[in-house]
Formats: sequence, C-alpha cells, structure tokens
Amino acid sequence: MVNDKQIQSLFHRVCYNNDMQAYNELYIALCTRLIHFSASIVSSFHLAEEIVSDVFITLWQKRNNLSHVENPLVYLYVSAKNLSLNTLQQQKKHQHRSIEHINLDILSIAPDAENGMVSAEVSQKIEGAIRSLPARCQLIFRLIKHDGLSYREVATLLGISPKTVDAQLTIAVKKISQAIRFDLSDEIVQTFLRIDS
Amino acid sequence: MDQEKLYALLAREMAGQLSEKEASDLQQLLQRYPDAGYIREVFSQNWSPVSNQYTSTQVQQLLEKHQSRLQEAMAETIITPEEEVPRKVWKLYLGIAASLLMLISVGFYFFQPKRIKATAALAQLVTSKRTRSQILLPDGSRVWLNAGSKLDYPEQFEPHKPREVNLEGEAFFVVASDAERPFRVHTKTFHVRVLGTSFNVRAYPMEDSAVTTLVQGAVEVVLDNNTKQVVALRPNEKLTIPIHTTPAEIHNTPVPLPQKAKLVLVQDSIITETAWVQNKLAFKHLQLEKVTAMLEQWYGVEIDFRNNSKRNLFFTGVFEAENLEQVLNALEYTQSFSWEKDSTGKIWIK
Repeated sequence: MVNDKQIQSLFHRVCYNNDMQAYNELYIALCTRLIHFSASIVSSFHLAEEIVSDVFITLWQKRNNLSHVENPLVYLYVSAKNLSLNTLQQQKKHQHRSIEHINLDILSIAPDAENGMVSAEVSQKIEGAIRSLPARCQLIFRLIKHDGLSYREVATLLGISPKTVDAQLTIAVKKISQAIRFDLSDEIVQTFLRIDS
Repeated sequence: MDQEKLYALLAREMAGQLSEKEASDLQQLLQRYPDAGYIREVFSQNWSPVSNQYTSTQVQQLLEKHQSRLQEAMAETIITPEEEVPRKVWKLYLGIAASLLMLISVGFYFFQPKRIKATAALAQLVTSKRTRSQILLPDGSRVWLNAGSKLDYPEQFEPHKPREVNLEGEAFFVVASDAERPFRVHTKTFHVRVLGTSFNVRAYPMEDSAVTTLVQGAVEVVLDNNTKQVVALRPNEKLTIPIHTTPAEIHNTPVPLPQKAKLVLVQDSIITETAWVQNKLAFKHLQLEKVTAMLEQWYGVEIDFRNNSKRNLFFTGVFEAENLEQVLNALEYTQSFSWEKDSTGKIWIK
C-alpha cells in the first residue's frame, strides 16, 4: 500500500507542478479505498465511482489553491464523505442521513485466505464478530486496518477525538479476539466469561 | 486489567500507534500469554474487502473512465467560465455534440476516399492594453496573458498529438505534463517545445527582440530561421532572440545571435521576467526608456521624454498595488528627473 509520505509527495507534485502523471498515480493508489468508503454511505458502487471521480476532478480544478492542505489523505476522504452525503440528500430518498447510517455489507473485511494463516471457519467467525459491532466501530476498524488511516486522520474525518478512535478500535479488537477463541490461559478465559455475562 | 490492556495494545500496534514504552509492555504481556501471539499474527495479516474487490485491470478501467470525465469537466469550465447553466443540461448538450461528432466522423469514414484531417475548433483569448487575463486550457494547463496579447488555442486538444497554441504578445505558461502530447507554443519568430513545466514567452510584434524565460522544467526553443536552430533552456535561464525586420538586413549586417542569460532576481524571489503574473511590476537596473515602455503597457498611457539624456538613467524597483502617479513619484524621488502630465493626459519626463 502507498504510504502517507508517497501520497503527500504525489499531491505536492499535482499542486505545484501540475503533474498529470502524479495525479493519475494518486487516483490509482486511492480510488478503490475511497470508492468503498463512499459506497458504504450511498449504498451503490456505481454511484460511488462517480462520486470519487468528481472528488478527483475537483482536486485537479482547484489544485493550485490546495497547497495549504496539510493532509491530502484526509482532504480526499473528507471530500468523498461530503460529496456522498450531498448526493444522498439530493436523491431525497434518505433525508437526514448521516455517516452513522452506513451500509455495513460494503465495509466488511477479512484476513486474506491465501496466506493460510486463517481457515475459512475462523474467517467466518471474524466476519460475524465485525458485523456484531456498532456501525461506527466497524467503520473505524475498516479505516484503520484496511485503509491505513492513523488515529488522528480517522478522528478528523469523523469529527471525534483520537481517544474515542482508540477506544472504539480496542472494542473491535476485543470482539474479534474473543470470536476466534484463542486459548489464553484458563485464568483469562474465566475473566472473559465474567466480563461477557 | 491485563487483558484489557492487551487488547488496547494490540489495537494500537495494528494502527501503527504504539509508543516505545507500549511496545515493551506488549512484549511482556505476550510472554505471559503466549497464545495471544496467534491473534496478533491474524491482525498483522493483510485484510481485504469481502465484497466487490477491484482487480488491477478494473482499476485501470476506472482511471480511463475518470480521465474522460475529467476532460469533459474541463471543457465545461472553459466554455462557461461563469457557469450559470446547470450541469445536467451541459452534459446533455455535450452528449448531443459528441454523438453528432461521432456521426460526422463515421460519415467521413464511409464517404471520403481519403481521410480528411479534422481540425479542432479554435478559441482565442485577447487582452487589451491595461488588462491581464488568466485561462485554464482544456488539458489543465494554465496560461496568464499579459496586456495587449493574443492566444489562439483549440477548444479541445486532440489525443496522441502535440498540444499547440499560437501566441502574439506575452504569456506565462504552467503546462500540465502529458508525455503523450508535448506542448508547443508558436510565435512569429520561434517555437517552444515543452513537456510539463512553467515558462514565460514574450513576443510582442512591436519589440525588437523576443524572450523565452524558463522557471521550472525544461524547454527547447526552435528558431524559425533557415537554420532551424534548437536551443535548450535550463531552469532560471532566458533566451533573447533579436528580430530581423527584413530579409535584406540579414545579408548586409551581421546577424545578432540569440543570447542566453540567467534570470534576474530583484528581491527575494521576485523574478523580473515573470513578476507580472503576480500582478507585480518589477525591473532591475533597467534603462528609464524601457521602464516607461513597461509603464505605458501596464497602465495604458503614453509616456515621452522632453530631455533625451534622461532615457539612459537606470532604475530598479518592484511595484504591486501602486497607481501610475505613485510609481512615477517614487522614481522621481531619486531626484534624477521630474515628470508632468499635459492636457491630453500624456506623461512627459524632463
């Protein structure tokens, strides 16, 4: 995955050098993550592809005024979020939708089966555990584990504190850990049972 | 509560937010509960979306689709700078236009024995004296046009062909890079070939030389004389090309050669050649008669000398928001000359 520094440098080349090649690289590096994120809000991959394309069109049109942007990744996620919510509002079908009402099927992630670390059975348990989490918690887990955002970036995007991000992520990790029932010492298993009941 | 801490540390490790202290805490906890190593391993794996994963071919298709939407959007902004027309209507028109074009080209394809080269519609941007203008070309390149200049460009650049524009006067270009379609600026005396870069071209018809100034990137200047000489410029270099008015002159007098020089910094980072782009009027160690020529163009006035010896005084200065009187007064402050305005509004230096 492309890291923050590379994204920063591509973004810089777009804003200062009008570099179309860097712009295309940036699109390739981020489009699928942004499309999934947008699709979870608008519940349509087709619509999300257009939204993310619009986000990048705006980026190109405004590139010479974007040199103040400190975190390009957050800028693009926030643009995708706003445009997705606007699109929903325009459709009028779902009024007063917020980022809390996300399509959870779209957000599901699981460990890659190929590397043999996780059996299909365990993978299913993980999926089940993630689905049992509150929507926002799932979103945070996805943004950090899959999209590679930092606590601070997720916090800015969702308008919450980094502390909350940390707490929510811990909840997700706990739920998933418990679902695959790794055999900690009996003492700890007992404690789990006490906490759960 | 050790296990709660274990979850928190595993979460932070996964997020790449683990401090050094926390890393050693995690090591200790893992030693106490070695079986937790499995869960740590699972979290360190690559996780993928369960639904709708895009293959790299699909991503490439997404990019192509996006690029054509971008071109369409750029064309819209050029055609309607104030964009009052709702976007959907434009899309409709573009759709119709596109299908008409298709029909026409299909027609050509079938009914013409020889293929006729379709020429793209030309657009023109003209600035009068005193006005400067800025434009975004359909490929995303930006052009600042100085006063009294003219730029011809196609409304749409063709794919896989050089992007070509014609310039009379002065313009500053920030060219969007596109290796497939090199950018070319044509003037009466020379041509500039570029990839992605920013540069200034000054080719006013009434001036005795034309200048290409490179700020960033790389350009080649092709001289439009019999030799087709090519001069490559590096960043912060400029090329001054003398203009021969009549061919006869070339035979009788020694031809002045094009001259390469370094750019002149007035102060900090203000380059005199391109200061006009930022609405600054800048000159360094420049003869007063050249300064007044700049002022004439900048403010759209006429300036003349009552005392010819004043023509060769040298001045350095940067002006931004000042009006003509303020600039003249500032220069007059050196006590080397004085100025007055006659009844017709013409300025006289004495």
